[in-house]
Amino acid sequence: MTLKIGIDVGGTFTDFVVTRDDAEPAIFKTLSTPSDPSIAVVNGLTDIAASMNPPQTLEAFAPGIDTIVHGTTVTTNATLTGTGAKCGLLTTEGVRDALEMRRGIREEQYNNRYTNVKPLVPRYLRAGIKGRLDRGGRETRPLDLDEVKQAIALFKQEGVQAVSICFMNSFANPVHEQTAAELVRREMPDAYLSVSTDLLPSIRFYERVSTTALNSYVGPKLNHYLDQLVGRLKGIGFKGLLLIMQSNGGVITPQLAREKAALTLLSGPAGGPGAGLFYVRPHGQNKCITTDMGGTSFEASVAVDAPMIKNDGEIARHKIALPMLDIHTIGAGGGSIGWLDEGGLLRMGPQSAGADPGPACYSKGGTLPATTDANVVLGYLDPGFFAGGKMQLDVAAARQAIEEHIAKPMGLSIEEAAAGMYRVACNNMAQGVREVTIKRGFDPREFPFIPAGGAGPIHSCLICQELEIPLQIVPRESSVLCAFGMLMSELKHDFVRTFVARFESIDWPQLTTIIDEMASEGARQLVEERIPEARRRYDVKLDCRYIKQYHEVSFLVPRELIAQRDTTAIARAFHAEHNRLYGYSLEQENTPIEIINVRVQAIGVTDKPAYREEAWADADAAHALKGKRSVYIPETKAFSEIPVYDGHAMRFGNRVDGPAMIEQETTAIFVSASFDCAVDSLGSFVLFQKGREDLCRSGFSPTAAKEPSMVSG
Amino acid sequence: MSAKIDPILLSVYARTFKSITDEMSISMEQTTRSPILCEAKDYVTGLYDGDGNMLEQTENLPILAFSLAPVCKYIKEYFGDEIYPGDVIFHNDVFSLGNQNNDVAAFKPVFLDDKLVAWTAVKGHQADIGGNVAGGYNPNAVEVWQEALRIPPVKVVERGKLRKDVWNLIFANVRLDIVQHDMKAEMGACTVGERRLLELLKKYGVDSYESHKQALFDATRKMMEAEISKIPNGNYSGEGYVYFDGRHVGSKFTIRVDIEVQDRHIKFDYSRTDAQTNGFVNGTFTSSASATILTLLQMVNPDIPHNEGMVQPIEIVIPVGTILNAAYPKATTFGNHLCPPNADAIQRALAPVMPDRVTAGWNNLLASLTTGIDPGNNEKYVDIGFMGLKGGSGGMLGTDGYDHIGMIDASGGVLDQDYEMFEQQTPHTLIKHELLPDSAGAGEWRGGLGVETIFEIGSDDTQLVTFGDGDFEPAFGLFGGGEGGLNFIRLNYPDGQTVVPKNKDLITGVPKGTVYHQVASGGGGYGNPKKRDRKLLREEVRNGVISKEAAMRDYGMTEADLK
Repeated sequence: MTLKIGIDVGGTFTDFVVTRDDAEPAIFKTLSTPSDPSIAVVNGLTDIAASMNPPQTLEAFAPGIDTIVHGTTVTTNATLTGTGAKCGLLTTEGVRDALEMRRGIREEQYNNRYTNVKPLVPRYLRAGIKGRLDRGGRETRPLDLDEVKQAIALFKQEGVQAVSICFMNSFANPVHEQTAAELVRREMPDAYLSVSTDLLPSIRFYERVSTTALNSYVGPKLNHYLDQLVGRLKGIGFKGLLLIMQSNGGVITPQLAREKAALTLLSGPAGGPGAGLFYVRPHGQNKCITTDMGGTSFEASVAVDAPMIKNDGEIARHKIALPMLDIHTIGAGGGSIGWLDEGGLLRMGPQSAGADPGPACYSKGGTLPATTDANVVLGYLDPGFFAGGKMQLDVAAARQAIEEHIAKPMGLSIEEAAAGMYRVACNNMAQGVREVTIKRGFDPREFPFIPAGGAGPIHSCLICQELEIPLQIVPRESSVLCAFGMLMSELKHDFVRTFVARFESIDWPQLTTIIDEMASEGARQLVEERIPEARRRYDVKLDCRYIKQYHEVSFLVPRELIAQRDTTAIARAFHAEHNRLYGYSLEQENTPIEIINVRVQAIGVTDKPAYREEAWADADAAHALKGKRSVYIPETKAFSEIPVYDGHAMRFGNRVDGPAMIEQETTAIFVSASFDCAVDSLGSFVLFQKGREDLCRSGFSPTAAKEPSMVSG
Repeated sequence: MSAKIDPILLSVYARTFKSITDEMSISMEQTTRSPILCEAKDYVTGLYDGDGNMLEQTENLPILAFSLAPVCKYIKEYFGDEIYPGDVIFHNDVFSLGNQNNDVAAFKPVFLDDKLVAWTAVKGHQADIGGNVAGGYNPNAVEVWQEALRIPPVKVVERGKLRKDVWNLIFANVRLDIVQHDMKAEMGACTVGERRLLELLKKYGVDSYESHKQALFDATRKMMEAEISKIPNGNYSGEGYVYFDGRHVGSKFTIRVDIEVQDRHIKFDYSRTDAQTNGFVNGTFTSSASATILTLLQMVNPDIPHNEGMVQPIEIVIPVGTILNAAYPKATTFGNHLCPPNADAIQRALAPVMPDRVTAGWNNLLASLTTGIDPGNNEKYVDIGFMGLKGGSGGMLGTDGYDHIGMIDASGGVLDQDYEMFEQQTPHTLIKHELLPDSAGAGEWRGGLGVETIFEIGSDDTQLVTFGDGDFEPAFGLFGGGEGGLNFIRLNYPDGQTVVPKNKDLITGVPKGTVYHQVASGGGGYGNPKKRDRKLLREEVRNGVISKEAAMRDYGMTEADLK
């Protein structure tokens, strides 16, 4: 029996998914412990042990765990709250302010009170060192070692915990950085060190120095946290494999995470998009939009065969150029506060009541109306069954907050105001989904929609109607989707080298050497992680552009094409990707193409939890009917008594026609009057636009399936 | 026509309009090829109703922004009942409400059930639009024909069919092929907007759209009126100064604004402004009005939606024949860059009555463009020196100026080149690009710092064009705050000779090995520097952005304070 646990530490709850060969996945949630998140990890494992049949002690249970995959927000929070390490920077003389100037952007152009972000390294600890490489990496002035030593002396005197090194044009030649790094290692053996060419040897100075500085900024904190976590797990007798979720959707060993801490800046939500793909497969799909609605934010991302990656991310207005999942976040969640602007228009968020004090209905001191308050008034949430009945919601407080701040000033009834809040919140989320799809050149209507997070499936029908998406899939594990996704993730190591060349004059032997070097570096890491050769894979990507363009397009290139020096086929792939993204290519014009970067992703395929498909039960869901409740129906703009089903009792094939509510302990699903629902072979709730049974391949008796086409009309 | 107003649906319309213009902007950013479009984002995308009233805009570079709606109205009148589904109309003509010759717009009418219900439009700064000098900045121009090809409203596509003859006529007069591609990108973005808007209109119906958009204008107008009501009624005057018209050394011109605030209405009257120049330093009505509006917008609630209701309470009077509104056929290419002195005049006028909203002076623009042959690959390069031109903004009550933000007409919307990409795409070697210590005006709230840029020119026979100002008069301080520093560009030739170009100049034959040295200085300070937070000052001295000497001299710090 293989026992695997996915653990996702969130702001309010720490989520657990337990998978075993012989049982359905089990879900656990425990309150997070922000001062030392590893405490909540142990608390949750204790609960899981106690839930075993027969119940076990933690000490008896822990040694049997094979793998723990862990997502952490330690580095994210340190960056967002400005509580990272005290850092020093060694950089080239004359450009020490690049990190602070951020290429001169002010994100809010009309707002003169909008100030710059605090730099990750204060100016007096940014040392400009003499020494220069030209654009081809040739040394034009030797590195001034005395200046490096003086800077190190200052860093020691100032109690610097972490040092970053980033020199001009080092992507073409790392020698100056390596020399400086040796000195730092010798003089400051206890300091955390980040070298730009170890982390990201690619062109664009600002992106590289910012990424390197971020790595140093969060490195010591992550190390401290991993010490605590590894210590506690060891203490309870855990002997299995611990893996850390990274921002690119893959996992790494704790050792690598310690060195490249910036890889975990998006660790928390990175499990979601991959998990989404798993749930759409029974329906003959290879793509999806995965969304996650939490207390303060709403995250959306797209996957086609694999989750979308971007190389130009940002966190707290700092650039990070390491590959990370393209997850778009907007300020919309259960805690988002409703307010009227000076023109009297209703707005939702981005201010949030968070978990504390939370929405008015939490009775924890919040008096402002939040999305969750509207959901209570509209009947989407059962005040007595919130979080499976662990928390009682105060309907009167929700009504009062909405009446005072929205209904009265707008001259509406409380119910009308709540419906308005619900609608505006859904519209905001729909626009967020548009950005992540349209910007990537995708039509959202062609994608199944996966709503995750406790409150997601309450809003997803209206979001999908707004976007004309006809198919939604709500996994049983939707409230802990990221934790589940972590168990599905592969080991992934990204490498990049800048290699500037025009297609007609590529130095093939050099290109091959660069790719081989990156692949063997990847192989070395996979060997250390005990991945056998048969399970190692290497994906090659080129970042290319039409000559004189400023933005590159990154696309997969089969290694055979490089071996065959087939520029025609590679160019064709580039034109096609450019056309898909931007609606045109310059193939006809014969515009020259140039390569800027070469990338290799080394992948170690991990063992996935076995997931058994359920046996067909029946279309009849009557056995799961709990009762009836008055719920607001957006299509008719009126309340109506609709059936409420117990989601836990529903089985493969059970069908429920909208409007209806389906409740589980950690999620409520609102099936609006425009959708019907059937349970599929994985136990997911499949919501399809009325009359579009064809989209739900698994969910009806097998003969009903026919070729789906996502775009209606 | 009078569908009932649903207050919730109103919010949905407002948010969706914004998302449409944002989506059009993304489309432009990712498909254009000229760096001034895809890197500097010198373009605006917008939605207008059937009559040309602004519904929403995404204004990456605000100075272009407020000429689209007037041109849209003009185009509608121009073509009358000969506007058809599938048309695309180009326009740049500065004597029919265009703002700058190089800012070429594409307009697309949107029809639903054979009724003209809206327009989508994109206007972007094109890399070339004909005229005597590549790129359009011709300091010797005195007439429009020496500057550019004039494009009054012209249909390049009619009923969905490209008019090849018209298209070829236009682009036969333009030097660079990428301009054709970038105009196609503008048309593509218009189509993106049209598609989205039609989805929305089909869902809710034209009647609902018509009545809700009117309600939206009304709500927005009320927000703007509420902001204007906060200004005491009265008349306020201010001046801003322009140095050198490109042709007459020592010339100086004054922009004079008389602002009248009457309850919910504000009027900007430029009648006393100096007459137009006999050079290219002249504004057009819409570029000058955009400058006025963007300056006012920085003094009010930044959340006000950008639609017709926002501009309704604002009246702008600029007589033809003044430096801000040149008469036909004067040259006007420099007009967008009259925004900084125009903004100065407004800030100075309103400072006494809106001390909590105005800023001290911003650093004025001084820019350069180098072209030559890169000896590394024997190819021509053109580099607009974005990183060199970005000085600091002015301080305001409660907030320091923003360091290295650049001219007020962009307000932080234009980015530096990346240093390593700069060295790949030009033969130059960057020596320095750093914040310039002591460049900001002192104050309780100091100005934003400027920057110093030094690079070695790597090509022989290099050509350098300068355009700008700020080398005669520094950014002004307010309420006891100090002035910023002066801009300069200097060339130190390998033979030891130093050349200082005029602020609008063309220098040819610059040899390889010449050191280019530029300062874009800081903004003005606000309030008494002696009141500045001592702890903050200690940090600034430690970080070397304020020298110890300046801290003692300007801020009254003592040796003991500095410890």
